[in-house]
Amino acid sequence: MALDDRVRTAFTRVLDPKDVLSDPVKCRAYECDGLTGYRVRPDLVLLPRDAEQVAAAVRVCHEFGVPFVARGAGTGLSGGALPVADGVVISLARLKKVLAVDPVNRRAVVQPGVTNLEITAAAAPHGLYYAPDPSSQQVCTIGGNVAENSGGAHCLKYGFTTNHVLSCEVVLPDGSVVTLGTDTAEQAGPDLRGVFLGSEGTLGITTSVTVRLLRTPESVRTLLADFPSVASAGDVVSDIVSAGIVPAAVEMMDTLAIEAAEEAVHAGYTVGVPAALVVELDGPVEECDAQFELVKAICEKHGCTRLHIAGSPEERAKIWKGRKAAFAAVGRISPDYFVQDGVVPRTRLAEVLDRIAGMGTDAGLRVANVFHAGDGNLHPLVLYSAAAGETERAERLSGEIAELCVEMGGSLSGEHGIGTDKACSMPKMFGEEDLATMHRVRHAFDPDGICNPGKVLPTPRLCGERPGKYKPHPLEETGAIERL
Amino acid sequence: MKTTTTLRPADLAEVRDAVRDTPGRLAVAGAGTAAGWAGDLDTVDAVLDLSALSGVITHNPGDMTVSAHAGTPLRALTDELAEHGQHVSLDAARIADGATLGGLVATGDSGPSSLVYGTMRDLVIGVTVVLADGTVARSGGHVIKNVAGYDLAKLLHGSHGTLGVLTEIVLRLHPVPQRAATLVVDAPLARAAELAARVLEGPYEPVALEWISHGSGQLLVRIEGTDEALPARVQRLQEVLDGGDEAADDPWLRHAELTRGSPEAAVLRIGARPSVLPALVADVAADAATVGLGTGVATVSLPPHAVAEAHGRVHAAGGTSQLRYRPPGADAPAWGPPPSALAVLRAVKTELDPDGRFGPGRFSPWM
Repeated sequence: MALDDRVRTAFTRVLDPKDVLSDPVKCRAYECDGLTGYRVRPDLVLLPRDAEQVAAAVRVCHEFGVPFVARGAGTGLSGGALPVADGVVISLARLKKVLAVDPVNRRAVVQPGVTNLEITAAAAPHGLYYAPDPSSQQVCTIGGNVAENSGGAHCLKYGFTTNHVLSCEVVLPDGSVVTLGTDTAEQAGPDLRGVFLGSEGTLGITTSVTVRLLRTPESVRTLLADFPSVASAGDVVSDIVSAGIVPAAVEMMDTLAIEAAEEAVHAGYTVGVPAALVVELDGPVEECDAQFELVKAICEKHGCTRLHIAGSPEERAKIWKGRKAAFAAVGRISPDYFVQDGVVPRTRLAEVLDRIAGMGTDAGLRVANVFHAGDGNLHPLVLYSAAAGETERAERLSGEIAELCVEMGGSLSGEHGIGTDKACSMPKMFGEEDLATMHRVRHAFDPDGICNPGKVLPTPRLCGERPGKYKPHPLEETGAIERL
Repeated sequence: MKTTTTLRPADLAEVRDAVRDTPGRLAVAGAGTAAGWAGDLDTVDAVLDLSALSGVITHNPGDMTVSAHAGTPLRALTDELAEHGQHVSLDAARIADGATLGGLVATGDSGPSSLVYGTMRDLVIGVTVVLADGTVARSGGHVIKNVAGYDLAKLLHGSHGTLGVLTEIVLRLHPVPQRAATLVVDAPLARAAELAARVLEGPYEPVALEWISHGSGQLLVRIEGTDEALPARVQRLQEVLDGGDEAADDPWLRHAELTRGSPEAAVLRIGARPSVLPALVADVAADAATVGLGTGVATVSLPPHAVAEAHGRVHAAGGTSQLRYRPPGADAPAWGPPPSALAVLRAVKTELDPDGRFGPGRFSPWM
């Protein structure tokens, strides 16, 4: 059933009628996000022009019980912005002003539609930058980053979105407007800001975000090193960490990923090597120089076959271009692919990669690996051909990889979020009481269940569960905890 | 006058049973280092003393994570972690007094190095919590990078024992720096703020930047790094500060002492934008203060009768304040005007603790 005319009329009263899209052809553009396998055409798409209009639109949703889904750039990889049938999409694309840059207090206030990189661009004249840097930073928006608690290559040293957002102005699911967080890390009471960050659009819509800015490091040193095996590259990472060095980034790519990236952007990676590491240090020049020598020695100790040190900012940018283009580049060597986002304790990387390789062989599918080696966040890319009827097999393998990460003591997702894609895997990671508690928190924010329903937490309707059967907690199965 | 029962559960099952089987209202106690923070507790039927719920559960040096029972004093982890060159990068004053992990999370405490490492909310990667109905919930996990599900640790951060009982906490660790140096510059607050701004504008990467009301005032600047690089960095820092000596004693002990305050004064914790904080501290007529010139977080001692007005001034400057201590018998409000999200806080409280069992009075008069 479609939304009735009364609802549409109500939206046209609070927004310019031109900003209420109902033409099925136009609405089709919003039917999915970066996870293109799931598609739902929304009945209406709203394009508010400011925070007041967002709040007014949400008040209409609240009044009529219409489910709504907030959307930024639609680059999300877990189906977090998948529309709801008989619901509306609220696009924040037009809220793209940088409202303030405050160099004295090292912060910026931006609207949700501002891209991640635009924040740094606005801060750069003051010698400041915004630290979290997802690979999609040229296009992804800060509103989406807030929803997903986005990470990026440099979060090993600098943390995630949650560590860099001081406060958010939020439209709650009843249309009321509140500020979560404060001007500092001091808060009077529970950290609702921290609960909202990473809640994947299920607790409200942010209309203004205050972020911390950091001083651009004095020195940055980047190297690209080739290794005879994934295991030896992994040993390098372990040795760097146990030497007490916290690199700004440590990224690893395997043969397939290197091949794809090199073909796409010609960044000077060695095609055919089993593994390559990108290691970056930053900080005061004296620290960087001292630690960089140590990192080079560790690479050599572990049989590094080629060591390329970026000699200029341009060369550094090129190395990163290769790494950040890897996902899209895989499109060159495969007609279709799924991206995974599991996390494992870093010490189990080699073991997990072995298992993944075996699982790929068993499934008859190729898996390319690009990952944040410093924090154990894997991005296995399962390559397949939909035309050849491999979709279901690939999807199964992809899900099994995520669940393997949980089995290894890790997580289903490091930065892409649970969204639609992994909601039904949540019981592998959390027990019934954990999920019930999360439901209660959600209910406190959204008692009517209209704010991005069907995401993050599994529901019987979504996952076809049959209630009643006892299922042990995942940690119980591993022996880490026992039932009382 | 009824007596309050004290329960000493020693494991998760005993905590859950105590919550489930003890009727009425409950308070949670750790080491008692922040027992007087926030609002005064109303009468409770029982106190859950978690000091027996103590000890490391798992330390994974290679992954730089540790999990421990919530009643573990943070300082009790030090030796075990130091063997691997690691530590919890939190330097709140009361850690030296035996503050527990659960207490530090529940009070949202932090110290000077939060300038770089953040507060407890940035260091906790997983929690187990017992709710008022005996539900045992876990969130997060043992990996630093993790966005699966809601971050319940954040909800407990700063909850002052009103939403649930923390029983287990997983923390991310940092390497202990090879070397650290603190430069001390004698300067009144306004001058110290100017110097701090200079440091922050340059490539010096201080891990702590604080003013303390010691004598006529001192600016403390701490940097950390390698044996090889630090001497040159100290020299560069001295140039920008027009002086400053490496402290012979430990000035951070003075800092901690001033942060705790004296038994005769009320102690107020303030957060405000660094640019407005020095004037605000001067405004509230503090007898003693530590002022984070980079973090925007200050702790001030003042007469109890001045607290209400101080809350108002902080709020007018867009800041946040909470009372940490009031002398026995003194009358001073714990909280200023409520945050805009008060309705959400109340809704969360109603969802998780509908009968108001935990920590009654802590957020009075808000809820």
